[in-house]
Amino acid sequence: MKIFINDREIEIFRGATVLEAIHRYSERACRMVLNGTLLVIDRFGNLTEADGELTEGQKIHLKKK
Amino acid sequence: MKKFVFITLLWVSVIWSFNGFSQQSISTGSAEIIILHTNDMHSKIDNMAKLAYLSDSLRKLHPYVFLVAAGDDFTGNPIVDMLEDKGNPMINLMNLCGFNATAIGNHEFDMGQELLNKRMDQARFPFISCNIKVEDAILKQPKPYVLLNAGKDITIALLGATELNDKGIPDTHPSKLTGLTFEKPVAKMKAFAWLKEKYGILIGLTHLGVETDVLLADSMPQLDLIIGGHSHTLIEKPMIRNSVLIVQAGANLKYVGKTTLVVEKGKVKERRDEIIPMKALTRSNPGIQTMIDQYNQNEAFSKMMGIAEESLEGYDQLGSLMTDALTSRLHVDFAFQNMGGIRVYSIPKGNITLKDIYQLDPFNNQVVVFRMNAAEIRSLICNAFNIEKEIDLQVSGMTYTVTIDTNGRCIKVEMADMKGHALDPGRDYTVAMNSYMSESYRFDHHDPGTATSVTTAQAVIDYLNEVKKVNYKGVKRVKVTH
Repeated sequence: MKIFINDREIEIFRGATVLEAIHRYSERACRMVLNGTLLVIDRFGNLTEADGELTEGQKIHLKKK
Repeated sequence: MKKFVFITLLWVSVIWSFNGFSQQSISTGSAEIIILHTNDMHSKIDNMAKLAYLSDSLRKLHPYVFLVAAGDDFTGNPIVDMLEDKGNPMINLMNLCGFNATAIGNHEFDMGQELLNKRMDQARFPFISCNIKVEDAILKQPKPYVLLNAGKDITIALLGATELNDKGIPDTHPSKLTGLTFEKPVAKMKAFAWLKEKYGILIGLTHLGVETDVLLADSMPQLDLIIGGHSHTLIEKPMIRNSVLIVQAGANLKYVGKTTLVVEKGKVKERRDEIIPMKALTRSNPGIQTMIDQYNQNEAFSKMMGIAEESLEGYDQLGSLMTDALTSRLHVDFAFQNMGGIRVYSIPKGNITLKDIYQLDPFNNQVVVFRMNAAEIRSLICNAFNIEKEIDLQVSGMTYTVTIDTNGRCIKVEMADMKGHALDPGRDYTVAMNSYMSESYRFDHHDPGTATSVTTAQAVIDYLNEVKKVNYKGVKRVKVTH
């Protein structure tokens, strides 16, 4: 499925978590999410947990804490 | 005693209405109704005693308090998921907390239909979903909705729905869904819009993800409220779309949502939602806490399986451990592990416990072995890469380098055994992978494959038992080049 991180299209397997998609986007960003210095925000401005499951076309943004 | 009588009456009311014996009609009464909501608890039981205390306290203050979960109650904690009677502690604790309903999430299927039936029988609350159709399946047909009564004059219809992926099935192992068919959740929920006319108050208890909840709200204004799950979204400021309030409370029972509905003459006149962080709650139900402690003290899960001489970091190192376990345990030439099956990102230096292994690999998939030639192995690696245009498969027994074109697609795979020799194009190799890969991945193979009775987690346990210590610092077996 396709999702978007910071407006970049990411292709990822069905059932992937937010963290797995971020890992695909950037390994450094993945580490920053894990250590809490980067937050995951959905397109409505809500905080999303890194282990959240993705849906087709979902848009998320990474924001420094 | 009074509390017991009150809770019992509340239960009778809910169960009575669920079984369809009552004569509910459109709501006409006025009251303040509180709905405590969780979602995606994923077997995390540690805060259940706090939840029980909170819900009991509210029930003492308010006549109409309901407690619901928006699906994915299971999968995520080996203490619950890896018992022989999988999921039993979770339902036991949910019963004690007084849950009134749960939606069926995709991970409810992880334990298999037979065990899910057992959990549904154990639960003193219904599992609901309107878009699951049981045909020739083991699963008992779930109810699409449940009616909650707040006194004689207010009836709330709670309608469930389950996430489907782009293949039209919930995200779980396909083998767990035999005999089940699924209908598109938004369209199916709209077919139940009559519940609003009949009862006056309609709530969606959905396991669809916030993006689909927004689509649902846009097309179904009859809903007073959507209590969502699946995307693990912490909606701190409740969203309103098309006059529908959408709420969700993160995941893993780190939060609980508290929605207040002010009902006047059978209509919802005011809606409020607040998120309560569990860490902010200081009181807990001591009896339930004791039970949780007993579950957590299950010595089997803290048993040391091996030692990590250095911390295992990232998918390369963890995947190498998992695949080495397969080649060792199954005596095969090569083994592959998909990234989606590696469920933690690191294991710290020191003792590796059984719990660590089940967190790394919670799916309990069995190993399937294929005889494959080099071209077929190449097709597996290339197809897996092209789904995501990124390395997906970790490997044991070989190293490989994927060459990509300007569009990022795999055009060539160079493979070498651990001595650096290229694979022999004229011979068959034995290749192990988990059953999720064997069912879901496209690749050429002249051999249909042979299922083993070994699970991938068991292979890791056996491997650590054999080697005692592991050190994967700096290990990287797969590369991409232009």
